[in-house]
Formats: sequence, C-alpha cells, structure tokens
Amino acid sequence: MAIKLSANYSKKLGLPQYSSHSFAASVEVELSDISQVESELQRLYQLLQQSVDQEIQNVGFIPQTNGSNTNGNGHANNNGRTYQINGSSRQHSNGQHQQQPKAVSDAWNCTDGQKGFILRIVNENPSITKQVAEDLSQQLFGIGVKMLNKLQASQLIEDLLVKAGKPAPRQTRWQQHQPTNHQAA
Amino acid sequence: MNTTAEAPPKEPSEKDIITGLQEKVSASRLSLFLQCRLKFFFRYVLRLKKPKTPSLHVGNSVHAVLKSWNKARWLLKPLTLKQAHDAYTEAWSDTSEGKVFWEHGEENDDKTTGWRLIDTYLRESHVPADLKPDAVEVPVEADLVNHGLPRLIGILDLVQRRQIIDYKTAATTPNADKVAHSHEIQTTSYSILYRHNTGHQEAGIQLHHLVKLKNPKVVITTMPPMSQQQETRLFRQMEAYLTGIRHEQFVPSPGMHCASCEFQNECRKWH
Repeated sequence: MAIKLSANYSKKLGLPQYSSHSFAASVEVELSDISQVESELQRLYQLLQQSVDQEIQNVGFIPQTNGSNTNGNGHANNNGRTYQINGSSRQHSNGQHQQQPKAVSDAWNCTDGQKGFILRIVNENPSITKQVAEDLSQQLFGIGVKMLNKLQASQLIEDLLVKAGKPAPRQTRWQQHQPTNHQAA
Repeated sequence: MNTTAEAPPKEPSEKDIITGLQEKVSASRLSLFLQCRLKFFFRYVLRLKKPKTPSLHVGNSVHAVLKSWNKARWLLKPLTLKQAHDAYTEAWSDTSEGKVFWEHGEENDDKTTGWRLIDTYLRESHVPADLKPDAVEVPVEADLVNHGLPRLIGILDLVQRRQIIDYKTAATTPNADKVAHSHEIQTTSYSILYRHNTGHQEAGIQLHHLVKLKNPKVVITTMPPMSQQQETRLFRQMEAYLTGIRHEQFVPSPGMHCASCEFQNECRKWH
C-alpha cells in the first residue's frame, strides 16, 4: 500500500511600514515503505525551505514612507525591522526601500566563486551543457543548480569535473598521513 | 629561438610556503602541528617525501571503494560485491601517490585484509543502501577571517541525514571515550565546515572504524553535535597554530608518537 506524505512550508517576513509578506509551498509524495518517512521528510523540508526562501526574496511592492503612510501620529512609519535580501542584511528606513531586489533568476545560493566555477566547467566542456549540470543537480539533490547550498555546490563541482574527465587534482587526506595507531583517516 | 616556450614552474620558497600555511589549515595539519612542530616542518614546509606505508595504502584503497559504493547508491545504481571488489583491485593497483615497499609476502596479506574490511562493512549494512547521502567525499572550506583565523579546509567522507560520517581503518579496537577525545580536532573541524556550508547544525558525528583483526569488525562511535566549548577549543588551537607558524617555532616534541615517525633520522640531527 502506498503511503502518502504531504509537507508544507510557509514563511512570513516583516517589511517596512508595518507591512509583511508571506509565501507557502506544499507538496505531496507517495512512499512505498514507511521507513522512508524520516529521510523523505528531511529532503522535502530542505527542498521546500530553499524554494520558499528563494522566492520570498522578491519583496515586490513596498509601501512608500511619505505623508500618506503614517502611523497615526503624523510620523513616517519605520518599524525598524531588518531582513535579508540576497544574503545582505539591509535596514529599511525612510526612503531606503526604493532599491529593487536582485532578480530571482540571477540569485545563486552558493558562493560567487562556486557559481563561476560551475559556469566555467559548462563553458569549457562541450559534453557538460547547462542541462547536464541541471539534471545532475536534480538527480543528486532534487533541486536546481541555483538553489544548491555551498556543500551541495562543492559536490556538484566534483561530480561535473569527473563527468568531464577532469577530476579535481588535489592531495588526498590520506597522503602522507600516518597516525601512531596506524589509522588511515 | 623558441619564444613560446614557458619557463618551468618556480618552486615556492620556504617563506611562500609558510605564508600559505597561515592562510589555510586542515584538521590533519593542525593535529600534526600540535603533536610535533618539527614533524610538521619536515612534512609541510620542507615537504620531505617518504615512501607510502602499507597501512596507509590499505586505508586509501578501502576509502576509495567506500566512496564508489556511496556514490553508486546515491545515483541509484548500487554496486554488487563483485563490482566493489573490482573497484578495490583498481584502487590497490593505483600507485599515483607513491610506491609502497612491501616485505616479502606482505602485499597479498594486506590486500586480503583490506578487502575483508570492506566485505564486512558492506555485509553488515552499517549505512543503509537505500538512504540517499547528502554528500560523499566532498571538499569544503570555511572562511574564519571574522575570527582572525585561517581558512579551514577539509573533505567530508559521507554526510547522511545530517550525520557527518568519517571512515577510519585501525589496527586495534578503538575505545569510544578515547576516540572522541583524540579525534576532537577533526570532528570539530568537520562540524564547523558543515555548518558554514549548509547553514544548518549537524545531527551528529560518527566515526566508522574498520578494525583489521583476524575477524574484522566495525566499531561505530557516535558523537553529539559540536558544543560551543568544542568550537572555542578549536579556535584557540588554531590561534596557537597561527602564532607558532608566524614565529616559525618548529621544535621537536619527543614522546610515544616518535616510535612510528618517518622523520626520526632528520629529527636526531636537529639542534
């Protein structure tokens, strides 16, 4: 008997002028074995959280802090909240929220260095197309390349290099390592 | 005249090497520095080459197969025992990290020992084959510049269900309390690396010791997530490392560990 597992994740963030925005995502999957519940929940939580976090960065319309938006005392609203846009913490106060958030399509969760490395592998190896990288990312982590965290991006880079026939040259941890109890770690 | 010929790569000077060692550190480098600074100097500054030891070769070969096994099950193409054995044979014949000098008849015995470790580990299913890993032998780093410390680097053998798993081959059965203490630099480093690279706290850390006994066995030591105290300890050890390297304090630390040190001859000449 198939086991249905549903998961949902929602997040609400405060915005200037006492406003807020929220976003939620739900997913339902079928499992063949109850023992898969824990691992699948872990995967779904990670997937949903990263997806929601990715999208919620686009804050869209934010009320202006002019005379028309006041807190009832005739003063411009500033709830003093701080929140993250594309990884940088910004204090939103009077007039500072005009800045457009970075387009979601340009946002990567990994470091700029990892992003550059992945793109370079794709550009320099005809057999590694963007689709190949995307497919491998989906196969390994169930999410797209741009949503990978730093650990996942490192793994993808390793595996793409192997696919390209260019495994990363590096000294292994075990080289020249000989603890006193003869462990090879 | 061939104007396109490139000059051979210049060997880094001792000063360059010491500067580099202040910029990046791994758990094994840090451990070695704290164990014996002169040994660290011979290995990482002078870069003296020594023959690969048989036990290291066994460990490398076992690790290579476990990596292949974990990668294969991640891609839903689990290895059969025969495929695992083939991977072991290939890893055993890899001498790219240096040749091993075997005593007569030793190589076959050690090769058999290594395979029996893998066979035992896989048959006992210490890592369920149907669970997807989060990472397999992945190199990671953490920028600790905000703490005034070098960049921490390392390779995680396996991460699964947020558990960091490290493989070890050992000649004797490990004691859980002693192992947790003696490997603290490594396990704390891995926790920091995991947290920096995922934004999450690890569920725990496991050391999987594959013990080379007549009847091989697997000993798993499970540890809780890194504590604040452990992180502080590591940072203070890294500070000591940084200070020691900066002042080039490469002095010997004679002790029990000297028995298996490959630099005994060089050490005796030091003054």
